Parts: sequence; structure tokens; C-alpha cells
Amino acid sequence: MFKVVLHGVRSNEPMLLAVQKGNASRSAFLKYSHRRRCDVGGRRFFSATWSLFGRGPPSRKEKKTVDIPGLERVTYADRMHFVPGLAKPIFPEWQRDWHDPHHYRGPDNEEMKLHKENPCYIFNQRTKILEGVRQALWLTKSKLIQGLPEHILSLAEDPANQIEDQDERVQQAIRHSRFWDTTALRPKRDRFCPVLLRDLLHLCGTLQVKHTSLSKRILAENYGVAALWNRESDVFQVRGLNGMLLNSMTPLPAVAQSGEVLATENHTLETFYPISPTIDLQCTYVYDQKNDTGFRDGYPYPHTHTLFFTETEDSAAKFKPEQLRAKMIMFAFGNALARAKSLYGEHPQVLEHPVVVQSIATDGRLFQFIVLQLNTTDLGPDTGVKNLVWMDQDQLLYDYAKCRPLIKKKVVTVPAGLSGYQPETFKKFLALHLHGAV
Amino acid sequence: MAAPSRLSLLQVCSTRLFLLRCTQAFHSEPAVREPAYPPVIPSRTAKSKSAKKRREEDYHSQIRAASSVQDKLRLLTKLQRDKYVVYPQTFTLNADRWYQHFTKTVFLPGLPEKCSVGRQVVDNENGKVPPAAGGVEPAVVDENTFSELRSLVGNGILQENFYLKKRRPFLQKEQEHFVAPFLSNLVSSVTNALAKYNPLLKKSSLGSKVTDPCSYGHTQFHLVHDRFKRDRLIKGNLADQIEVRLRANAIASLFAWTGAQAMYQGFWSHEDLTRPFVSQAVVTDGQYFSFFCYQLNTLALTVQTDQNNPRKNICWGSESMRLYEEVKDGEVVGFNDDVLKLLVHFLLNKPQKM
Repeated sequence: MFKVVLHGVRSNEPMLLAVQKGNASRSAFLKYSHRRRCDVGGRRFFSATWSLFGRGPPSRKEKKTVDIPGLERVTYADRMHFVPGLAKPIFPEWQRDWHDPHHYRGPDNEEMKLHKENPCYIFNQRTKILEGVRQALWLTKSKLIQGLPEHILSLAEDPANQIEDQDERVQQAIRHSRFWDTTALRPKRDRFCPVLLRDLLHLCGTLQVKHTSLSKRILAENYGVAALWNRESDVFQVRGLNGMLLNSMTPLPAVAQSGEVLATENHTLETFYPISPTIDLQCTYVYDQKNDTGFRDGYPYPHTHTLFFTETEDSAAKFKPEQLRAKMIMFAFGNALARAKSLYGEHPQVLEHPVVVQSIATDGRLFQFIVLQLNTTDLGPDTGVKNLVWMDQDQLLYDYAKCRPLIKKKVVTVPAGLSGYQPETFKKFLALHLHGAV
Repeated sequence: MAAPSRLSLLQVCSTRLFLLRCTQAFHSEPAVREPAYPPVIPSRTAKSKSAKKRREEDYHSQIRAASSVQDKLRLLTKLQRDKYVVYPQTFTLNADRWYQHFTKTVFLPGLPEKCSVGRQVVDNENGKVPPAAGGVEPAVVDENTFSELRSLVGNGILQENFYLKKRRPFLQKEQEHFVAPFLSNLVSSVTNALAKYNPLLKKSSLGSKVTDPCSYGHTQFHLVHDRFKRDRLIKGNLADQIEVRLRANAIASLFAWTGAQAMYQGFWSHEDLTRPFVSQAVVTDGQYFSFFCYQLNTLALTVQTDQNNPRKNICWGSESMRLYEEVKDGEVVGFNDDVLKLLVHFLLNKPQKM
């Protein structure tokens, strides 16, 4: 059951009405607005139209009833039918004596077992926060440094670490994912993006011949991470099913030395008043306080190495670059925090051996690289040692990968095929992959 | 009446002169004369069988005369007709016999001698590898690498089934949930570990398109869909169909792959193969592995070309073998080394220079 309130506004698009809706009608509304108004035969979907945009029955003003304990009103309950002049009886709530899943109403928030006094703001894998990277840095108490660290980038410049015919093979991988993977003209983004990532990872893996410690790694998919921390009297959590994760047996070495870490004490975090730092986070009063890396104890590859984010079929998870970078920082932080808490305990402290987690996100063409170093789990106050984030954003792997050439005014401006390949981006990818193994 | 006096034929023939002239006439070349009219061939546009035949011949010669392989393929696939689609993973009964008929394949149980596990695959410290006949070196992997591989595979299995905290999978998505990540991990880790033994694996790429320089396919890995899983078949009283389905899957997909490779090289049904195309496949459902090897000898399978074609395609295949018994409390119980050895052998197969 839902109520439709019609505003006195005229417009051509389907209006976002004040509809109190259940889940079924919300999806019907979305389907209607996204799809066509008619089917292929030109027939309109009146069942959808009337139920979503109809005027609905007229609302009745309810008369206020005053309950005086000694003077109960005489109702027509005994008569078993309406009698004008007698009051309407109020019956007790009827409960079905068996569990019907189609008519089940769950318990209220206050009755749930995990209900708490203070709200928790949760960042999940679909959250797109307004202020992007700035908000993520405030939430994780981090300092941003543009550009990846020097000693990681130098790993890729070393000719001993390069793959044979590196550029040629990367271009073949791009062509495979963008052109050859389908019998149709062009594969969709959520198909070519993971294929490209897998091909690039396979290429990096062929270096195992030279660096045997690369074999001490494994890829994991569809794992759930949970991390909890307090930040200036608010409780925050990162929860979510992530994309792909590269785990290794040995931890990553600390990127910034202790001098640089202590120097971050002087840095002040950027706030963005009047916007609250908890904007766009899911606020809930029913939550479980847990820190979980997603794997059981005794897992042979306990250390998180790199997180990979790709475009998936989930249409709600399409991210703009700024929000994608924020998500990368939050999830890398979540993994690092969960690992630190499992190693060093729940007590907030400055870590002697910082935990480093890397993150790479791509949409098939643009790559974002992030290296996060967790220096402290003492995230309550704004002052003190901060965590460090190195970021390299919006790196193009290639300019165009066209199936048909782009012709403007009878002149071919962009030819068909792969054009504008930039080798630097793959070098950074390789460098991040080799970090910790070389 | 003046009846012309004729010698009887017998008398004429008996004269030696005549004989000589006769023999001379038999053995000498007839006088070459230019044909005055063009050859008599059936019409192209008439509504007759011979006209249809002529159109087909013209089409075939046009394809034969095409300048490049892409032109050939374009001409072959220009006209799309109704077709029966053959699915590798199917629910038809006795599908392997059907598919053998469709692709003119002979199925030989057991793997060819080159690939069998009886030969020395793992080099022990004391034993020496016997020299192989025919110049084929058996691939040798030392104990360390093998145990490393065993631990990698064991870790992969454990990760998916034990260590990674997962929710219960949705209906019929168990394979995707548990096995697909394990398989991709397995393929990548084993290929990378073996790359130092087989330089070909270094240059390999995961993918479907075959183009220069990787114009030949090496190994396929197939995951059995949830609908065709073992326990479902046993529940439906189709226990004998398990092997059948695996075989059918292998035959169909390998024929398609090798056939496609051959067509990309320019061979088609009227221009048959000059060299065989070989490929391998591993079909698995996470616990049971079966290995198949396919040799494509002929593409000439149409009614016309099959008249005098003695060649047949060959498929060798093994029964399904268990890689491990079960996963209990963080340990893989009953790991089968033979299966891993076979897998290693498959991936180490190197092409020989001809």
C-alpha cells in the first residue's frame, strides 16, 4: 500500500513525487522511468501508469477522538455491522499464527538485538561521498602527498624488472580486452574492464621467473572487510564486499620513515565547514562492532598487498573519479586498520611498524594509484601523528581504443584500433605490483 | 549395274601395308585444333540442378581465389543461414556420441603416450630420467617446484573453502562462488611457477583471440556449470552420464577452437588441412579433473567433400580424477599427486620445431 500525493507542478518528465513506497513499487517506478512508456507494439503500460501516477483516493480527514477512561464510547462491535450513530470499534492487532514470508514485517529498530544509543556512520562499497578525497582524508586522519613515492617508481625504471616486449604485450592485452573478447562489435565496459585487469596481472605474474617471491601471493575475490574506529565522538565503520584483493605472505615495508611520520604531527586536517564530515555516510543505530579482515586465523597469506577496483555490472556502483579515489582510500584504510587491530590489539596507539596497503582502480582506460601507510590507530583526536596517503590520479593508459574510426567532415580524426598508448602508466602498475617482492 | 568392287574388309586388313598405316595412325598425335565454340557448361541462372551446381562451384572458386584470409572468412560468413547451435555443456543424453558424429571425431580413452603419467615427470634425486624414443624429451620438474606447486594448489583450495569468510551462495551459484576464483588462481599460479620450465608460458596470454605471434591455442580450462554438477546428475539417476557430458564438452569446445584456428590460417572445408592442429583441455568442477587432448586432421565435413575423405579427427581423454577428497578444518585431505602431475605435464607441453 502506498500513498501518492500530487504536487501542483507540471513538467514533462516523470516527477519525483512524494511517494511513500515499499520496495516493490520503488523498483516499478524506477523501471518505468528508465524504460519505455510503450512496448514494441505501441501498447502503454496502464497498470504501471495508474499505480504510479494516478491521483489515488481522496484523503480523509480523521476526526480526533478523545478517550475518557470512565466514559467509553458505545461501538457497533456487538451488532457486527455498521450502525449510524455508534462509534467505530477499535480491534486489537491481528497476528497471523504462522510465519508468512510474503506478509512479514520485521522488528522495529529499537527492538533489534544490536541496537545502540549512538549512531554509527558506515561507508560501504556503494557510498559516494560529497567532498571526495578531502572527506576521506578527514575521516581517516591522513595527510595527502601528490605523486607516488620515488623508490617505488624507481622499481619499474630498472631494466632488470621489465617484462620482455613490455609495451607490445600491454598493447596486445588492451586490444584483447577492448576488441577481440566478443563476437559483437564492442564489449561493454563491465566486461572489458576486469578482463584488462586480469591480463595485466597475468603479465606482471610472468616476472615470477626472475623474482621468485612473487609466488608468495594469491588473489582473493568477494571477501568482506569490516573495520571500526572512533573519530571525534562519532563512530565510523567501513564495511563491504570488495572487488579483488592481492594478499601476500610478507608485509609491505614502510614507505615513509619515522622522521617523516613524526613530522605529520604539525599538519592540520582540512575541514569543510559547513558540510559535516559524516555526509553521505549511512547512519544507522543498529550495528555490530567488529573488526574483521575477511579471512580466518591461520590464513597463509595474511598481509594485504593491493586492492583492485573495477567497473562492475552493478549500475549503482558507477563512480566518478573523485568518488572512486575516496572509496579507494577508505577501503585501503579499512583493510589496514583491521589488520593493525588484529596484530596490535584494540587499544589506540601509534604503530611502530606501520601497515602499508596499496590500491589500484580503473575503468578500463583511466588508472588511479594510491599507497596508504597507517601510522596510528589513535584516531579520536584531531592532533597527533597522521596517516600518509600517496596518490597518483587519472593516469591514462591509452587515449583511444576505437572499433570504428572517428570521422569528422570526411577526415579521419581518430583511426580505428588502439591509439595514444602511454607506457608510463603500466610502469607504475608494475612498480606497485613489484613493491615488496623485489 | 556397276557394283563397285570392294575388297572385303578382312582382306584389306590383312595386308601389311594397311596394318602399318593403321598402327601409324593409332600412335601418332591427332592434329591439334582450336575449339571453335566455348565449352559447354550449364547455365548460371537457370532453375536446374546443374545450374545450382555451377553456382556452387563458382562460389567455391571465388573463395579459393580470395587474396587474404580475412576476405575468405568474409565470403564464407557473408550469407547467414539457419543453423543448429551446439552447446558444449548440454543436457542431452549420450551427447558425446552425437558430437562425435557432428565433428567426425574418434574418441580414444586414455591419453596419448606423450602425455601419460607413467613416464617420469618428477625428477627424483637418485633416479635418472630414461632417454625417450623419437627425440621427445619428457618434461621434468624437480621436487622443490612440485612441492611448491602442491602447496600453492592446496592454499588455493583452502582459501576458497575455508579461510575466506563467505556467505552461503545464492541458488545455483555455488560453482561461481567457490570454484571459479580457485580455478583462476590455480591457472595463474601454476603457469607462473612453470614459466621457467616452459618459455612458451612466459609469452602466453589468457584470452580467446589467436593472432600473431600466438596463433596456436595451448590449453583450455572449463568449469562445469551448476546445472550439470555431479550430485545433481546422481540425484536424477543419470550417474552414467557424468563422463558423457565431460567428453561432449571437451569434443565440442576443442573442435570449435582448433577449427577456428585452422580457419584463421586459411583452411576451410574445400581446402583441407595440410597439417594437424592440436590442443588440450582440462574440464573440472573444482574437485574432479579430466584431461583431454584433441587433434584436428580434417575440416572437410560437408557432404561433397566427405565422399572420399579417409581422415578423422581424434580426441583422447581421461576419466575424471579427484584432486582432493575433502577440506576438513583447514587441511586438504587426500590430495592426489597424479592429477597435479598430469596438469603440470599438460602445461609443460612444448611445441617442437618442424
